[in-house]
Amino acid sequence: MRVIEGIRRSGVGISSDRTVAQAATVMERSGVGALAVLDGERLVGIVTDRDLVRRALAQSLPPDSRVDLVMTSPVVTIDADADLHQAFALFRSNGVRRLAVVRAERFVGMITVDDLLVDVANDLADIARPVTAEVIFPQRDAPVPADE
Amino acid sequence: MRASVGDRIVIRGHRVGEHDRDCKVVGVEHPDGEPPYLVRWEDSDHETLFFPGPDAIVEHFEKKTKKAKG
Repeated sequence: MRVIEGIRRSGVGISSDRTVAQAATVMERSGVGALAVLDGERLVGIVTDRDLVRRALAQSLPPDSRVDLVMTSPVVTIDADADLHQAFALFRSNGVRRLAVVRAERFVGMITVDDLLVDVANDLADIARPVTAEVIFPQRDAPVPADE
Repeated sequence: MRASVGDRIVIRGHRVGEHDRDCKVVGVEHPDGEPPYLVRWEDSDHETLFFPGPDAIVEHFEKKTKKAKG
């Protein structure tokens, strides 16, 4: 399975010269907790709702501060056509909860730990179903015919 | 996915009780209509780039042309 097929939510990007107040408004309107910070179509960082709390509100930063002051950069990225197992490896080695998905160095979306957990849970349910059925409704094997 | 200026994009709620969101396409970066799209969010003047995922659907609005009288 490719990374692009594992994305479950739309991505939203904000220009790096926008303010932290605008970033917060966009998060609220779009329902996402992380925005890609873009310079044109070039990805320069990620800003999360947690960044806005920790690096802006808690530091008494003015609401009109530029969003690139509080973003996380550089960003851990993964190619859209990479195998999904590479995403697992990047989550493990970088300790992040989101990866920016890029194609030809352009941002195309975001994949999160939550996305992968949903897939893993669904896969587990699929393989557990026949086992569960066997436990609840045991099928007795037909007796082996006796030799005549 | 393809969209044109004036189309509406609806993003379905992800959890039970979460309402749908929508935005209006105000710019298309690529001439073939492929993402990303410059969008304006409902009740907001804020424009952002939007990279649609499987939770988004595009509602196209056909352009109505007035018939000439006479």
